[in-house]
Amino acid sequence: MIEIEDFSITFGSGKNQIRAVRNFKLSVAEGESYGLVGESGSGKSTVLRAMVGINSHWDGTIRVAGEALTHKRSVESRKHMQMVFQDPYGSLHPRRTLDDTLSEPLVIHGLENREERILKILKEVGLGPEFRFRYPHQLSGGQRQRVAIARALILEPRVILLDEPTSALDVSVQAEILNLLSALRKAHGLTYIMVSHDLAVVGHLCSRIAVMNRGEIVEEITEDQMRSGEVTHAYTKQLWTASQGYDRAALETFQEFA
Amino acid sequence: MTMNKMKLTGFETSSPGDAPLISVRDLHVRFATPKGQVHAVRGVGFDLGKERLGIVGESGSGKSQTGRALLRLTAGNGSIEASRMMFDGKDLMQASAKTMRSIRGSRISMIMQDPKYSLNPVLTVGKQIAESCRRHENVSRAEARRRALAMLETVRIREPEKVYSLYPHQVSGGMGQRIMIAMMLITNPQVMIADEPTSALDVTVQMQVLSLLDDMVRERGMGLVLISHDLNLVSSFCDRVLVMYGGRIMESLDAKNLDQAQHPYTRGLLNCLPRLDGKHDDLPVLRRDPAWLTEGDEVREGGAT
Amino acid sequence: MSDGTLGTKTGSASWLLADSPNNAFQARCQRLYIGWLSFRSNPIAMFGLAIVLFLCLVALFAPIVAGGDGTTQNLANRLAPPSAEHWFGTDELGRDIFARIVWGSRVTLYIIFLVSIIVMPIGLLIGTTAGLLGGAVDSTLMRITDIFLAFPRLILALAFVAVLGPGLENAVLAIALTTWSPYARLARAETLTLRNSEYIMAAQILGASKIRILIAHIMPMCLSSTVVRLTLDMAGIILTAAGLGFLGLGAQPPLAEWGAMIASGRDFLLDQWWVPTIPGIAILVVSLGFNLLGDGLRDVLDPRSSGAK
Repeated sequence: MIEIEDFSITFGSGKNQIRAVRNFKLSVAEGESYGLVGESGSGKSTVLRAMVGINSHWDGTIRVAGEALTHKRSVESRKHMQMVFQDPYGSLHPRRTLDDTLSEPLVIHGLENREERILKILKEVGLGPEFRFRYPHQLSGGQRQRVAIARALILEPRVILLDEPTSALDVSVQAEILNLLSALRKAHGLTYIMVSHDLAVVGHLCSRIAVMNRGEIVEEITEDQMRSGEVTHAYTKQLWTASQGYDRAALETFQEFA
Repeated sequence: MTMNKMKLTGFETSSPGDAPLISVRDLHVRFATPKGQVHAVRGVGFDLGKERLGIVGESGSGKSQTGRALLRLTAGNGSIEASRMMFDGKDLMQASAKTMRSIRGSRISMIMQDPKYSLNPVLTVGKQIAESCRRHENVSRAEARRRALAMLETVRIREPEKVYSLYPHQVSGGMGQRIMIAMMLITNPQVMIADEPTSALDVTVQMQVLSLLDDMVRERGMGLVLISHDLNLVSSFCDRVLVMYGGRIMESLDAKNLDQAQHPYTRGLLNCLPRLDGKHDDLPVLRRDPAWLTEGDEVREGGAT
Repeated sequence: MSDGTLGTKTGSASWLLADSPNNAFQARCQRLYIGWLSFRSNPIAMFGLAIVLFLCLVALFAPIVAGGDGTTQNLANRLAPPSAEHWFGTDELGRDIFARIVWGSRVTLYIIFLVSIIVMPIGLLIGTTAGLLGGAVDSTLMRITDIFLAFPRLILALAFVAVLGPGLENAVLAIALTTWSPYARLARAETLTLRNSEYIMAAQILGASKIRILIAHIMPMCLSSTVVRLTLDMAGIILTAAGLGFLGLGAQPPLAEWGAMIASGRDFLLDQWWVPTIPGIAILVVSLGFNLLGDGLRDVLDPRSSGAK
């Protein structure tokens, strides 16, 4: 479904050139859920932003459903890939009701039966019709994230990119959103690429996980490896240990990976 | 006091021989808002010894307000009430504003989540640490500088001389938090209140920052209150955990026994965490019981006497 | 007046405060109503609103309130002091000052209206376009703005009027052309902070065009600060208009304009104080009204102060 090869992202030029992502490649099958894990500055979010075309400083090839993506996207091509952001407070326009937010993609893409589609999608993400004309400030963080998911889903895309979709939420709400995401994936055969710093969250949702450090993939692991901790690269090992909780003895072995 | 009461209210330090550093009973924090009164903390009580005490809860559970109330740092529209709030033999409820100022920072310190907002952007970090030292102790400039450098080394900053002359925007999040800790520790406080000190940091950096706090508790006999939303972190780091919900303490238990938590809220929180060793099935969703907000009122009153 | 609106509001309060509105219209009304509730709790802002509403009513019913057209001369009764017949006295041509003040309110409102509908769209459009597109477009638009910003307002207005010829419309045009630049800067600054927000990115990913993002997403966010700034600037605009009138470059006689009234009455300041003073007070009160209204609106509308609530 998604193939990325010879991929790199470079900001600036000359002396100030920063290679944010290097030698990046991945391949995700249809209906698969793929995870990108790394610490801040690893370039994991930058990859997502390049994929959806917010960031055009990339080189290489990105193929979605066999079709190569260009730096400039057509309106039509937007339909296939959507994104859910980290901050449920920042990703909804504060002056627009949910109805405005959800009908906008339909207007842009000239889709009919708007009311029907909006009510259907609200129901799917677990919000009743009574939410339709509310403003974002009348919703809780979890409800906002449901709206953000509904907005991504209303164009019926085949790929959804998730950028830390639960890291701003309480654990009980996180569980609800994770359940919703896996139910939606099953129902629509969606392909996910999920970015997170939290190994447990990625491990819960994804079957394969790429561990990134300083703009490069250091290792790709399966969910079984994730559970057992049988990873080969030292950086992955360290990340895995740190995710287990505070451990004074293990801390002494930690090192910097450049 | 029966075993049961102690469990519920948390009036038990890990080192029962010593007098507690901080002792709080029946703490209430209320806020007047345009929409009416908000009762953020409802009758919280605990004792803090020379230990690592964790307060966990979700947003709105009152955990941060509990921490702030200890320093009487509640926002202007809030009011604090407690039948007892003792620190080192002093009643914090009766203390004058001047006494509170002398306690804040020098004897009880506080670390916030984001060092970016807590550091002065126009002063070098070294100056700020030295300033904090001079404010609380009458030492010369040179001595303050020497101590600040030593403290930077203590918090494991590799080139203290170089970092001393950096401005806050020039340091990374992890280093910023270490600098904050250095600034708070230089006055040698007896109690440290850390409100989500590591939740903006990467996991490995998080561990390093926590180990610093750990050292302070072990080596200097400091009392630490760690406020966090992260059950995993608190249970692996702290000695004792208070679980808060709706402004109340639901349960108080030894951190190593968190797995055997009795209260349905604690159990629910634990269950809805995705686990590294878990399966792909749906996570159990937390069902909240309104009775949690009223239960145990009689027991709490009994325990406070 | 406020009692009447209050009475009808309580009847429909449940509709206006319902948790889940049934349609877009109700949602928008609720938003306005909640803004109004917070505005209403600010007595000084309400005082400003009362002054502005009073000005509008006076202007609307000028023929009835004035009891004359304000241009009828009566040289036998010139420079008469305030009396029961002439509340504010008469001017050097024996015209009733009260009637002229009342008719003058129409001119003032006309100026305010024209300046607003010119300044807001120009400022918003230039500022948001520059902010959103960036690069060469940004530099060009902002340098043009800087040129307008560099001149003192009244001098530039004088130059425009000198070219276009004296008259009320030309004075308004001159004021508008010298007023829009700070609005463009304000809108640009706000656009720059909005441009990188996640909801703008989300709109981009959905395929929204630049024009759609500009009009549907960015402009509504910049609008409130522009409105607030305009109400706060209104005093300055009225004073500039009065200044142009005073210099004989604004409204032409016999049209009653407050600035021109002060100009023609200034010879009589010592002996017949009411002739220039009364229009001066009118300008003061209206300027104050707009300023207080603007302060109150800022508290309600400003996205920073209203925050997440």
